[in-house]
Amino acid sequence: MAGDLTYTPIEGKTRGFRIMVAILGFMVAVLIASFLVMYLSGQQVWGISNAVPWGQLITFDIYFIGLSAGAIVVSGLSYVLRREEYKPIGRVAVLLGLIIFTGAMVCVLVDLGRPEKFWRLFMYGYLNNMTSMFALNSIWYGGYLLLMVVYLWLAIENKTRLAMIIGTIDVLWAVGVHSFTGAIFGLIGTREIMFSPIKPFEFIAAALTSGTALLTVVVAAAFKFTNRSLDKKVITSLGRLLSFIIIVLFVMVFFDKLTHIYFPHREGAIFLFTGPYWWLFWIFQIGMGIVIPLIILFHPRAGKTVRGVIIACISVVIGVLGERAALVIPGTAQVQQLYPGHIEGMWGAAGVFPITLWETTLTLGIVCLVALLFVLGLRFLPLLPATEAVKVPAASEGGEEALPEEKSVTEAEG
Amino acid sequence: MARWGMVIDLDKCVGCQACTIACKEENNIPHGSPQEQSRRREIYWNRVLAITEEGEYPTQRVQVLSMPCMQCDQAPCVTVCPAKATYRREDGIIMQDFRRCIGCRYCIVACPYGVRNFNFKDQLQEEYHRPDLPPDRASRGPWPFPQRVRGVVEKCTFNFHRIDQALREGKKVGVDVVPACVEACPTKARAFGDLDDPESEVSRLLATRGNFRLRENLGTEPKVYYLQG
Amino acid sequence: MSSSKDRKVWRLGMSRRTFIKASAFTGAAVVASRIIKFPQNLALAAPPSETKGVITEKWVTTSCLNCSTRCATHVRVVNGRAVRIAGNPLSRVSEGEICPRGHIGLQVLYDPNRLSRPLKRTNPAKGRGVDPQWMDISWSQALGEVSSQLKSLRAKGEPHRLLLLHGLNITSDEDMIHRFADAYGTPNVVSAQAFEKEAEKLGRWMADGNYSHIAYDFDKANYILAFGASIVESEKPLARNLRMWGKIRRERPVRAKVVVIDPRYSVTAARSDQWLPIVPGTDGALAMAMANVIISEELYDADFIGRWTAGFDKYKELVLSSYRPERVAGITGISADTIRRIAREFAQTRPAIAWIGRGVAGWPNGSYSSYAIFCLNALVGSIDVPGGVMYQEDPEYREMPGVTEDDISRAGKARLRLDLSKTSLFPVAEGVANQVADSILEGRPYPVEVAIGFNTNFNMSAPGSQRWDEALQKVPYYIHVSPFISEMAEYADILLPAPTFLEAWGYDHSPPGSGFAELKIKQPVVEPLYDTRGITDIILELAGRLEGTVARSFDRVGGDIQDFVRYRTEDIIPWSEFQEKGVWVGPAYQYRKYDSVFKTPSKKFEFYSANLEAVLKESGRAVDSRLAYLPHYEEVEFLGDEAEYPLMLSTYQPLLNIENGNQNYPWAQEIYLVMHGTGWTNFVEMNSETAHKLGIRDKDMVWVESPVSRIKVRARVTKGIYPGVVTIASGQGHYAAGEWQQGIGVNPNEIIGVDYDHLSGQSSFFNTRVKVYRA
Repeated sequence: MAGDLTYTPIEGKTRGFRIMVAILGFMVAVLIASFLVMYLSGQQVWGISNAVPWGQLITFDIYFIGLSAGAIVVSGLSYVLRREEYKPIGRVAVLLGLIIFTGAMVCVLVDLGRPEKFWRLFMYGYLNNMTSMFALNSIWYGGYLLLMVVYLWLAIENKTRLAMIIGTIDVLWAVGVHSFTGAIFGLIGTREIMFSPIKPFEFIAAALTSGTALLTVVVAAAFKFTNRSLDKKVITSLGRLLSFIIIVLFVMVFFDKLTHIYFPHREGAIFLFTGPYWWLFWIFQIGMGIVIPLIILFHPRAGKTVRGVIIACISVVIGVLGERAALVIPGTAQVQQLYPGHIEGMWGAAGVFPITLWETTLTLGIVCLVALLFVLGLRFLPLLPATEAVKVPAASEGGEEALPEEKSVTEAEG
Repeated sequence: MARWGMVIDLDKCVGCQACTIACKEENNIPHGSPQEQSRRREIYWNRVLAITEEGEYPTQRVQVLSMPCMQCDQAPCVTVCPAKATYRREDGIIMQDFRRCIGCRYCIVACPYGVRNFNFKDQLQEEYHRPDLPPDRASRGPWPFPQRVRGVVEKCTFNFHRIDQALREGKKVGVDVVPACVEACPTKARAFGDLDDPESEVSRLLATRGNFRLRENLGTEPKVYYLQG
Repeated sequence: MSSSKDRKVWRLGMSRRTFIKASAFTGAAVVASRIIKFPQNLALAAPPSETKGVITEKWVTTSCLNCSTRCATHVRVVNGRAVRIAGNPLSRVSEGEICPRGHIGLQVLYDPNRLSRPLKRTNPAKGRGVDPQWMDISWSQALGEVSSQLKSLRAKGEPHRLLLLHGLNITSDEDMIHRFADAYGTPNVVSAQAFEKEAEKLGRWMADGNYSHIAYDFDKANYILAFGASIVESEKPLARNLRMWGKIRRERPVRAKVVVIDPRYSVTAARSDQWLPIVPGTDGALAMAMANVIISEELYDADFIGRWTAGFDKYKELVLSSYRPERVAGITGISADTIRRIAREFAQTRPAIAWIGRGVAGWPNGSYSSYAIFCLNALVGSIDVPGGVMYQEDPEYREMPGVTEDDISRAGKARLRLDLSKTSLFPVAEGVANQVADSILEGRPYPVEVAIGFNTNFNMSAPGSQRWDEALQKVPYYIHVSPFISEMAEYADILLPAPTFLEAWGYDHSPPGSGFAELKIKQPVVEPLYDTRGITDIILELAGRLEGTVARSFDRVGGDIQDFVRYRTEDIIPWSEFQEKGVWVGPAYQYRKYDSVFKTPSKKFEFYSANLEAVLKESGRAVDSRLAYLPHYEEVEFLGDEAEYPLMLSTYQPLLNIENGNQNYPWAQEIYLVMHGTGWTNFVEMNSETAHKLGIRDKDMVWVESPVSRIKVRARVTKGIYPGVVTIASGQGHYAAGEWQQGIGVNPNEIIGVDYDHLSGQSSFFNTRVKVYRA
C-alpha cells in the first residue's frame, strides 16, 4: 500500500524562499555581530548578573536540546517503530533534531564567558571534573551529535535496518541527553525551584511535547509551502500523541510543584507562583504549555482538525520556552535565605533579568541560524517525499482500509 | 595538613566594613558603579549584610553579618565546575583558577551563599596595575592575581598567597600572618587558623563560645564559623 | 663511486635529512620545554611568582587624614606605588588598627579628579554651575598674585579683612595657618569645628574649665550610656573606639553594657544592648531626670561629690524640683520606669560613662545638654578615674617664638571677629563658622576683601549651604587650597593644589580619646604625583613675599615644611627616629589629678558654672540667672511651623563618609550604607508608621521640603527611627566634578535652616522641620 517513498530536496526557487533565506542570512550576520560585541566587551551587554547568572542563552540552550530530543524521539516512530504513516516526516524529524541541537551547542558555546576555552570540557581524566553535569554532558552531547549525523546519513541512504539500530540508540541517547540536561538543574540543592529528582523526567516530558509540537508545525509548514500533500491523519495523530505527552508532563510538573509547596523549603515554590516572574509559570508554562493545548486537543471538533492541532502545537512550542525560562530565571532570581530575617538592600533583593538588545539579537540570530540551516538542509538534501499522495493505513490492527486518495497539486517542479 | 578556617565574632563585629575594603585593597578587586550595583554586577569577595530580624519598633533587631567565601569542605561549586577551575586544595582552601575558568557560571548557580562573582567586563588597566601582583602564573599552580579578564569567575581565596608565603618563610599562620580581612578588622572580630589544631585560636574560640555556620542544614560544611552575638 | 655530494652527506657525518630531523626535534623539544611545565606542589609554589614584578618595596610610616582621628599608619609602597595601608603597630591610640576610611587613602591619593597644577579663574561670574574657565598658571605667578593681594590689603591698613577658613588639615598646617593669621594681623581664622561638636566642648568647660572634647576611658568602663553618640560609626577617635569596642565586648572578664539613646537606630544602637529612641533634642532632660533618680535614691558617689565638686546643692535643688521622671517622660518619650531603671543601672554599674555625641551637641540647647550629661559622670565619680572621663594630654611641641607684630597687625587683631564670637550674640564661643556667611552677606562688621580656604567645603557641610554660595560670590578675591576641586573651590579666583596627606609632611595628634599623648608623623609615601605644594610651604612662601614683620615671624621656625616639622617635634623625639617609627607615645595616663585638672574658680568640678557666670555677666547678655549657670534642659525652638512641617529632620554621618570634603571614592561609595545594604546613594529614612500616614512606600521618590528649600530623594521605610523623625545620611549630594560622587544622592544641609547654640557658636543641624510627600 504505502510503497517506497522517494525523497527529494525542495526546489527553493520561489520568491518567498529566496526572501526567507535572505532574511535568515541577514539575521545570521546579526548573530555574528552580536557575538563579536559580546566577546569584545564582555557579557555586560547582556541581561545576566551575579544574581541571575544564566539568561536567554541558557534558556534557549536547554529549550533547543529538548526540541531536538523530542524530534529525534518522534523520528523513532518512523525508523524504530517502523510506523508507515510517519515515514514522510521521518527524515525531516532527524534533520530537525540535528539542526536544532547544533543551535543548542551554539547557544552554550557563546554563553561561556571564555568561549575559546571550550576544549577544556573535553579533557577527560585530566582537567575535566566528571562530577559536574556540564562535564558529563560533553560526552552525552558529543555522542549525540555524532549519532544524529550518522542517523541522518543512514536515513538518507535508505539503510533502513542500520537506521533502525542507530535510531534506537539515538532515541535512547536522546533521552539520556535530556535527562542529564535536566540533571544540571535538578541536582542543585541550593536553588529550591530547580532542585528535584523529577527534573530529568520533567525535562524529557517537556522535550517530547515541545519536540512533537515543533515537528508537527514544521512538517505542516514544510509540506504546505512546498506544495506537498500530507495526510492530515499524520498531523492529527501527532496531535493525539502530543495530548498524551502533555498529560504526562502535567503530572510531572504537578507532583514536582506539590512537593515544593509542602514543607520544608516552600519559599521557592511561593516565589515561582507569586513572585515577579509568576507569569512565566502561570501564563506560559501552565497556560500555553499545558492548559490551552489540552483544551484544544480534547475538544471534540477542534482536536481533530489540522488547524486546531497546529494552534495547539504553536501554543506548546511557546509555552515550553516559557517553562524553560521559568526554571532558569526565577530559579536563580530567588533570594537565598542565608540567615533568618530580612536581608537589607542589594543582598536581599530578588534578582532581576532585563531583556537586553545584544542578548536578544544573539538568541534571535541563533534561532534564525537554525532556521536557515534547516531550510538549506531541505534545499540540498532529499528529505521530503516527492510530491505524490501518500496513503496512510488505518489505525485498526491488521485491517487495510483504503482511504480515498487525496488529490495533490502536482505543480512542484521535480 | 592544616585545614584553614575562619571565625567571626558577631558580638564584636560592628559592621564597619573594613574587611570588605581591605580585601579589595589586598586582592586588587575592582570597584563597581551605580549602574553595576543596580544590575548586581559588582564584585565583592567579602560582603557585610544587615539582616532585620523579627520584631517591631522599637524592639526590632538588625544583625550584621560579614561574609567571605565559606570555603565549604563539601563545596557545591567544586562539584559542578566542569573544568576544575575551582577545586579544593589539600589545606581546605577552595581555589579559583582564572586560567582554567571557562566562564560557564555554573558555580554561581550552585553556590548557596552567593559569594561568587562573574567578570562582566574588563577592568581599566590604569586603575588596577599592581606591580607586586604577578601577571601570570609561573607554574601550573593557581593564579595569584593576574589581571582578571572578562568572562571568568572570582571569589575569596582566604588569601592563600599570604598563607603560602608564610609557610615558605616559616611564619605561623593565624598568629604572625593572617588574611587581609582578619588583619584589618579593628575590633578584632575575626580569627583565622587551623581548625584541626586544638591549640589554634580558632579551635579555642569554637570550643568556648556558642557558634554556628550559615545554612548548615545544606551539609556544605562551611569553614567560616560565627560566634553568637 | 658516489661522491659525497651524491650521498648528500655533510662533514659532520650525518645525512642532511638526519640533521634536519635532529634539529627539528631539538627545536621542538626546546620550545616544548618552554611551554610545558610540570606541575609542582600546589601548596608551596615557587617564590618568584610572588615577587617577579617587584623592583622596590618599602614601608613608610605616616598617618591618615580621612577624618580628624589621624591614625598612625604604615603604607606599603611597591615600585613607587602605594598599594596597601595598615595601622602602625607602634600606635597606642588605636593599638595598630585603622578604620575602613584609612584604606580609602589609596583612592584619595590616586583620585583621577585631582588638581594637578595651579589654576586661575578667567570667568568673573561665580555661581553654582558656572564654569570658572580655569587657566593654567605657574606657582610663581599664582603666589605672586596672591601675595600682591595680601600686600595691598595690609598696605591699606586693613589686614582684618583677610579671612582664613580651614577644614580638615594636618595639625602642623593648622598651626601654620594660625601663625600666619597672627603675623598678618587678622583675627578671622575660622575652623569647621563649629559644624562638629563645639557645644560639647563648651558643656564640659562649664563644668571643669577645659575647653576640649571629652576623652572617654571606655575600655575600662562597665556601663556606657551613649547620648546621641554613634560610637562605632562617627565618634572620634573612631579607630580607637572600634578597637576598644572589641575589648569591652569579649576581651575582658566583664562584658560592658552599652545603652544607646538616639532617635535613630544607628549602627551603634544595633550593636548595643539596648536602644532607647528619644524625642529629638531632649537628651538634656533625660540626663537631668536620671540625675533626679540618682540623687533622690542617693546612688551618687558621695565621696567625690563632697570633696571635689562645687555647686552641688543648687544643682540638686533644680534636679529634684524640676526633673521628676514622670514629667520628663512626657518630654522625652521614654517612660518613667525606664528612666529609673537606666539611672539605677548607670549609677550602680561602675565605672560608668555618659557619652556625649553629635546628636546632643548639634542643637540650640547643645551646650546645656552637654553640661547636663557631663554632670552625670561626676555624679557617679567617673571623673579622671579608670573607666571614666579623662583629660587628654597632647604632645608638647616646641614652642614657637611669638610673632613679630607691627601696628597694622595689632590693630587688625583687635578688631571684632567676623564670626561675631565673644560678642553678646555668641558670648562664649571660640568660633561660629556658619555666622561668617551671613556676616559676609551683610557686610558686617566689615566687608571681607580676601579669603583663603584650606581644605574647606562649607558649601556642602554648612547648614543652609546655599548662603555660602552667595557669600563666596560676594568675596572679591578667594583663594582655595586643596588637592581637588570641591564645591567651594568653584568660587576661587586662584586654585592652589595641595598634596594629599599621603604626599605631605607634617605632625599630628589624635583628638581626645586616649588620655595619653601620641605624636604622629606625616611624610610622603610616594613622590608627589602632581605639581603640588604643602600648605606650610605655601604659607612660608607667602610670608616671605610679604616681607616685613610677616616674613620675620617665620624666620626661626624652619625654612620649609620638613624643617618646621622637625623644629616642632625634635624635643619630643629625635627626627630620624620619628621618621622611622612614625609615632611617639607619651607616658601612661595618670588618673585622679584633681589638684590640677579643674580650671574653675573653685578649683573643683562645678555643678554651678562660675566660669560661665563670669563670662556671661561681662558680656551683658540677658540670661535667666536661675538657670543660666546650671545644667538644664532648654526646650528647642524648631524652624518651621509644626502644622505645615510636621516632621523633624535629622542627619547622620555614616562611617564611610570621608571628611575631606570629597566623596569621589568608589570603594567607599559602593557600600556606603551598611544598614541598608546599599551604596551610591542616600535616602530619607522614616518610620513605617510615618510612611504609612503619608502614603509612601519603600524606595518611592519623595520631596523633603523645609522652610528653606526642598530636595528630591528616595524614601526608605524602616523600623529603626522615632516616628515623626526623618533622617538623611550626609556626605552625598555632591555636584562638583568627580565621577563617583557627582549627582549621587542629596545633601541634607541644603534644606537645614540656620540656627545656633548661642553659647558655643555650634551650628544646629537638627531643629529644622520638614514635610515629605511623594514626587
